[in-house]
Amino acid sequence: MSELRLVLTQTGYQLVSVARNRRAVVFSLVFPIVLLVMFNSVFVKGTDTVDLNGVTVDAHTYFTGSMLAYAILLAGFNSLAISLVMQRESGQLKRLRGTPVPSWTFMVATVLRCVVTVGLMTLVLLAIGHFAYDVQISGSAAGDLLLYVVLGIAAMCSAGIAATALIGDVDSASAALPLIAVVLSLISGIFVSVDQLPTWLADVARVFPVYHLTTGVQAALGGASLDAGNAAVLALWGLGGIAVAARRFRWEPQGVPA
Amino acid sequence: MSSASTPVKAQLNGATPDIPDELAAIAVRDLHKAYGPAEALRGVSFDVRRGEIFALLGPNGAGKTTMIEILEGYRRRTSGEARVLGADPGRPARRWRERIGLVLQECELDPNLTVRETVRLFSSFYPAPRLVEETIELAGLADVGDARVGRLSGGQRRRVDVAVGIAGDPELIFLDEPTTGFDPTARRAAWSMIDGLRGLGRTVLLTTHYMDEAQRLADRIGILRDGELVAIGSVEEIGAGLRNDALIRFRLPEGFAGHHIADEAGAPVEVEGELAIIRVADPQPVLYRLTSWAVHEGIHLSGLEVIRPTLEEMFLELTAEEVEHE
Repeated sequence: MSELRLVLTQTGYQLVSVARNRRAVVFSLVFPIVLLVMFNSVFVKGTDTVDLNGVTVDAHTYFTGSMLAYAILLAGFNSLAISLVMQRESGQLKRLRGTPVPSWTFMVATVLRCVVTVGLMTLVLLAIGHFAYDVQISGSAAGDLLLYVVLGIAAMCSAGIAATALIGDVDSASAALPLIAVVLSLISGIFVSVDQLPTWLADVARVFPVYHLTTGVQAALGGASLDAGNAAVLALWGLGGIAVAARRFRWEPQGVPA
Repeated sequence: MSSASTPVKAQLNGATPDIPDELAAIAVRDLHKAYGPAEALRGVSFDVRRGEIFALLGPNGAGKTTMIEILEGYRRRTSGEARVLGADPGRPARRWRERIGLVLQECELDPNLTVRETVRLFSSFYPAPRLVEETIELAGLADVGDARVGRLSGGQRRRVDVAVGIAGDPELIFLDEPTTGFDPTARRAAWSMIDGLRGLGRTVLLTTHYMDEAQRLADRIGILRDGELVAIGSVEEIGAGLRNDALIRFRLPEGFAGHHIADEAGAPVEVEGELAIIRVADPQPVLYRLTSWAVHEGIHLSGLEVIRPTLEEMFLELTAEEVEHE
C-alpha cells in the first residue's frame, strides 16, 4: 500500500517535471503531431493506398499508424533513455539511492510516466486522424491497437532502460539516441512503407521491435487481423530489455571517475 | 611513520577508546579501501558519539569523500569494521536509510520541480518526516519555496540539498562539504542551522576544507592525510598534541638584542626583522617575567600580543609533515 503511494507520488512529480521540460515536450509530444499533419498534407493525395505485407491500407491510415508508432518510439526509447542518462550523470539517481525509497518504485514510476504520455499521444493522434483525415477505427481494431500500444511501450521502455547501460555520458546519449531512432524509423516503415525496402534491409529491420510495432499498428488501423508474430517479437524485446536492465543498469554517474 | 608525527599518533590512540555501541553513532575500526593498487584509506579508526558534530578535515585526495561514502552505504570497504547506527553500512537496508540523511557532493536535483515540490517528494520517502514547511524554513528557503530548483543560485541550490537531507528528520546526518560556494552570510546561516540540528540531539558527520567551519561547528575533528587519520579530538586536544606552541610577539625595544630579552623572559627568542618572537607551550610565566621586567625598566613593548595557533595553522602543520619527510 505504501509502495503504491510511493510509485504514484513519483509518477506525479515525473509528469510535472516532463511537462515543464520544453525539450521533452517538443520531441515526444509536438514532433509526432506536427509530422502527422505534414505527412498527410504533403505526401497524401485523396485515393493513395499503401501495401503492407499483403494488406492494403489508405495512405491517411498508414501515416496515422506511423506517427503512433513513432510517438511510442520517441517517448519510450529516446526520451526515456536520455532523461535517465541525464538523471544518472547529474547525480539525481545516486541521490535517490541514498533515500529509503525502493529502486524498483522509481523504475515503475518512470515507465508509468511513459504510459501516461503515450496514452495521451495515442488519443490525440487518433483523434486528429479520425476527424481531420477520416481514419476509421473499428471495435476489433481498437482492441488490437491497445495490445500493440501496451507491448510497444513495454518493448521501447525496457530497450531504452537497457540502452542507458551502454551509454557513458549525456553527450553520447544525445548523439547516439536520435541517430538510432532515425535509422530504425526509416527501415521500419514509419516514413517509407516496408514494401519499398530491399529484402536484406527488411530482414535487418525485422530484428528490431520498431518494425513490428509500426507494421502491427498500421495493419490494425487498416482492419487486418492481429499478427501474433509482431506481438511476440515485441514481448520478447520487452523481456530481453528487462533482463539486461536488471543486470546492467547503473545508478552512479559514469562520466566522472569514481 | 616519521618521528615528527609520533606525538599526534599517540594522541590519536588515546582519543579512540572503545565506546559502547549505544553511545556511538558511527564506529570505524582499521578501515581500508583500495581502488586497484591505489589505497584511498589505510587503516582508519574513529568513533562519532551520538549527539555530536564531528568534522572530517583534509586536503583534496586525502580520502574524505571515500570515507563518508563508505559510511553512507554507497561504497564497499576493502577491509576493516564499520558500524553506522548499529548496522553495517556495506549492506544498506531500507529501515536503516530511514534513519540517516545525506547531503552529497555534486548531486543535482530535478531542475524542473519547485523547492516545495522537491522537499515534499523527498519527505514522502520517509515514515516520519519533518513538516515540509518546517524543513523549508530550517534550510533558509522560505523566500524561494515556489521557485524552480533549476533557477536558483548555486548557494540556494546547496540549501535545497540540505533541505532534502533533513526532510526525513534523520537521527544521523552526513554533510559532504555543505557550504562550498556559499557567500559569508549564507555560510553563517548554514552554520546556525547545523548548530540547530545539534540542539535537536541529532548527530552530524561533516566533511569540509574550511578550517573555520570545522572550528566553529565541530565538537571533535578528525584530520585525514593520504588515507590515514593523523589527528583526532577537539581543537584544543589537537593543538595540545602538536609542537604548535603559543606565540608571544612584540616589537624589539630599541637598544636590545634578542639574547637580552631571552635572559629576562627565561625563554628563547627569535628575531625576525623588528619583531621578537617567543614560542612557548605555556605563555603565562614567560609573559609575567617579560612584562614585569619591562614595567620595572620603563620599557614599552609595542605591539605585544599572544597568538594561539588556529586550526588552520595546525592543519597546515599536520598536512605539511608528509612533504617534509618524503
